[in-house]
Amino acid sequence: MSNTSETATMADGASGSGAPQGESIVKAIDVHKAFGDKVILSGVSLEVARGEVVVLVGPSGAGKTTFLRTLNMLEPIDGGEIHVNGQRIGQKVNSRGKLVDCSARELAAQRADIGFVFQHFNLFPHMTVLENVWHAPVHVKGENKNEAVAHARELLEKVGLADWAEARPRSLSGGQQQRVAIARSLAMRPALMLFDEPTSALDPEMVGEVLAVMKDLANGGMTMVVVSHEMGFTREVADRVVVLDGGRIIEDGAPAQVFSDPQHERTRQFLSKVL
Amino acid sequence: MNFNWEFFWQALFTPSRQFLDGLMLTIVISVVAMALAFIVGLIIALMGRSKFLPFKIFASLYIWVIRGTPLLVQLVIIYTGFAAAGIFRFEDADLFGLVIRGAVQAAIVGLMLNESAYVAEIVRSGLESVERGQHEAALSLGMTPLAAMRRIIVPQAIRIMVPPLGNSFNQMMKQTSILSIIGVSEMFQVGTIISSATFMVFEIYIVVALYYLLLTTVWTFIQAQIENVLNTRAGLPKAEPVFKRLFGVRSKKMTRQQLQQHADAVKA
Repeated sequence: MSNTSETATMADGASGSGAPQGESIVKAIDVHKAFGDKVILSGVSLEVARGEVVVLVGPSGAGKTTFLRTLNMLEPIDGGEIHVNGQRIGQKVNSRGKLVDCSARELAAQRADIGFVFQHFNLFPHMTVLENVWHAPVHVKGENKNEAVAHARELLEKVGLADWAEARPRSLSGGQQQRVAIARSLAMRPALMLFDEPTSALDPEMVGEVLAVMKDLANGGMTMVVVSHEMGFTREVADRVVVLDGGRIIEDGAPAQVFSDPQHERTRQFLSKVL
Repeated sequence: MNFNWEFFWQALFTPSRQFLDGLMLTIVISVVAMALAFIVGLIIALMGRSKFLPFKIFASLYIWVIRGTPLLVQLVIIYTGFAAAGIFRFEDADLFGLVIRGAVQAAIVGLMLNESAYVAEIVRSGLESVERGQHEAALSLGMTPLAAMRRIIVPQAIRIMVPPLGNSFNQMMKQTSILSIIGVSEMFQVGTIISSATFMVFEIYIVVALYYLLLTTVWTFIQAQIENVLNTRAGLPKAEPVFKRLFGVRSKKMTRQQLQQHADAVKA
C-alpha cells in the first residue's frame, strides 16, 4: 500500500464517487464522451488523492481506457471537467470570462506533468533506450543534458535495464520495452502516472517484471491510475478499485471489499469471470 | 551501319565546352528544382493533413491538377502561355553576378511545381506509415503536435520516404530533356544542336544517353549512401548494395528478408 492512512479511509468508501481525504491530484467531474453515436462515458466522476493507487477494472467496452485517456486529454471530452494537480486540463477561462480550449502549447505543458504508459509501449525506435528516456526532459522541459542523461541512467538502473542503455528498443523484449517506457515517463518527474493495460500486450512470463516495477513505484508514493486485468496485482497494490460498466462507475472501494463483497450485480458477474 | 567511332569516342571522352555546360545545367536545374520541390511538397503534404478545410481542399486540388497534366504542357503554359497572355514573363535575372536566363527560371519553377505534387504524396504516405502511438507517446511527454512531428514522426518517416523520393529524382533528371522545348540549353538541347551541325545523329544521341545513364548511376550510389546513413542511425542493417540495385541480382530470399525488415521497421 502506498499510503496506509488513506487506505484506511478508503476501506469504507464502498460506493459513489469515493472522494478521498487529503489533497486530490485527479478530480474528474461528470465526464462525458461519445464516438459518433456511440456513448463511451456517460458521467464519470473520480477523485484520486496524492499517493493513491487506483485500478480501473470492468468488462471490455466499459470505457476504462477511454476514461484514462481523457485524464491527459489524449481523448478530448464532450462534457465535464478534468483537473489534475489543481489545473483544469485542456480548458481555461479566457479574459472575457468564457471557457475556451487551451492552446497546443498550454495543453502540452499540462501533459508534461502526467506520465502515460501505453499498452504497446510506443518507444521511439529511432533513438537508443537511453535517449528515449532523456529526450523529453531535455527537449520539452529544457533540462541540462548531462543531468538529464544521469537521471535517465538512474531510472534505467531502477527498472533493471542499466545494461541496455545503448541498445535500440526493438532489440528488447516486450517486458523490457515496457520498463523503459515507464522510465521514460518517470524522467519527466510527473505528478501522476497513468497506465493503460501495461501488461496486456506481454507474454505471460514478462508480466511479472513490469508489475514489480509498478509495485516499487506505488511503494515509493507515486500517484497512479491503472487500467488493468491483473487482479493479483490489484489486490496487492491498489488502494482502491473502481469498477466501470457501460460508461459509468458502478463500484468504488478497497480491493478486499470490492472483491469479497461486491455491491453491484454487474460487478459480481464481471469478477466471477476474472477472479 | 554507319557509325563514326572516332567522333563517338571524342564526343564521349572529350566533350565540347558547350556539351559540358549543358550537362552542368541539367544537374543544376535538377538539384535546385528537387530541393525546392521538397520544401513545397512538404508544405502541400502538411496542408493536406491540416484540420483547416481550405488548406485541405487546396492541397487536394493542387495534387490532382499537377499530377493530372503533362509536365510539357505545364512548362509551355508557365513560360510561353503566361508571357503571351501578359500574366507574367520570365526575364533574365542577375544573381550574384550570374545571369540566370528566363527560360531556366521557368524550367526550375515548372519542374519544382510538377515534382512537388509527387513529393507531397510521398511525404503523406511516409508520415502515415509512422504508427499513431508514436504521436500519442510524444504528446503524452509534453510535446506540442509540431514538436512531435519534428522530433518523432519526421525522423522516422524520412527513412521510409528516401527510396521513393530518390526514384522520383531519378525520373526528374531524365525529364529535364524536355526543357529543350522552352529553349533551355541543357544536355539534350546541346546534343540536338551538335547533331544538326555534324549530322552525327546516332553517335551524339548515344553519347547523350550515356551521360544521362552516368547521372542516374551516380545518383543511385548517392541514394544508397543516404539510405545507409539513415538505416545506421535508426539501428537497422544496411540497405541493399548498389550492385544489386543496378543489375537486379536479387535472390527471392533476400527480397523476403528485406520485406520483413521493412515490416518490422514500420511496426517498431
